[in-house]
Amino acid sequence: MGLLQGASELFPISSLGHAVLVPSLLHWSFKQSDPSFVPFLVLLHLGTATALLILYRDQWVAIIRGFFTAAVRGQMRTDSERLAMLLLVGTIPAAVLGVFLESRIKELFASPYVAAGFLVVNGLLMLGFEMVRRRQEKGASRVEQESHFTDAERISFRAAALVGACQALAFLPGISRSGVTIGGGLLAGLRHQEAARFSFLLATPVILGAGVLEIPQLFTSRVPVAEYLVSAVLSGIAAFASARFLLRYFRSGRLDPYGWYCIGAGLVSLALLHFGL
Amino acid sequence: MKSQSLAVALGVLGVVFIVIAVLYAVGVLQLFASTTSGPHYKHAVLFAVLAVASLVAANFARPKTAA
Repeated sequence: MGLLQGASELFPISSLGHAVLVPSLLHWSFKQSDPSFVPFLVLLHLGTATALLILYRDQWVAIIRGFFTAAVRGQMRTDSERLAMLLLVGTIPAAVLGVFLESRIKELFASPYVAAGFLVVNGLLMLGFEMVRRRQEKGASRVEQESHFTDAERISFRAAALVGACQALAFLPGISRSGVTIGGGLLAGLRHQEAARFSFLLATPVILGAGVLEIPQLFTSRVPVAEYLVSAVLSGIAAFASARFLLRYFRSGRLDPYGWYCIGAGLVSLALLHFGL
Repeated sequence: MKSQSLAVALGVLGVVFIVIAVLYAVGVLQLFASTTSGPHYKHAVLFAVLAVASLVAANFARPKTAA
């Protein structure tokens, strides 16, 4: 589960959807309605967030320093200061919706049918994002096409808030956080690689915050903490490798393959669940 | 957009968010919470973040005097 979550968290294929679907399809003895299920997932997410912190450690130091400098001064003068404020603005919509819709979303967690259905929707969203993007592109080669788009530090605050609002969709199992935020970044005019970087940076505080707040619940539930911690470490290792791969992939790659994968996986899962295979 | 009145309004909003965060943290406020008793730390952290964002925005909105 740790490797699965870590690998699928940053790929635009919905880790939560896979975490709900795979145990159900493989008949693992993991109960999704168990009180420790959500804290367990959050612990895995914590492994992912740690991997992202390590991957972007230099940028995070600059972002945190930039945040305090700009907040005290009341002005943004550097790219790091602007990025820090964009991340703050982008984090708020997901945090507000996450806190207030959490209990309703948890009710959806227990259904693999819902996760499979939303996985199909996620795939359609990925294809839709790329379809809109292709209309805006100019030039023949991928390098030329990407060169017309911008860096994460250059987007508007309204665009950052919209990308952040997209992140809230990922509370639905089957909808990928990285998928919708990368897609939102593309719509905001970011290059693919920059959209992925902004998505990963934006995910870190939300995942980390949710993880830290859920940890006490993990210890009150009767769960094998040591095993869960090993899973979290594996999740982190898989996430680190995934992020490195994706940042290289998005130099010229698109969301389409992941979109088609999600549609296929969702439909196959729905069929398997329906026929009880 | 810089204006003294906007800065004051955002500052007041920040203080209101701090009060709400404290009320959630001590368990006095139960509004929009999944359970009806005890402290709600997630809500408290959220309103603390909103308070920070409001106070930062207030400082950005404040007209700066030339040095």
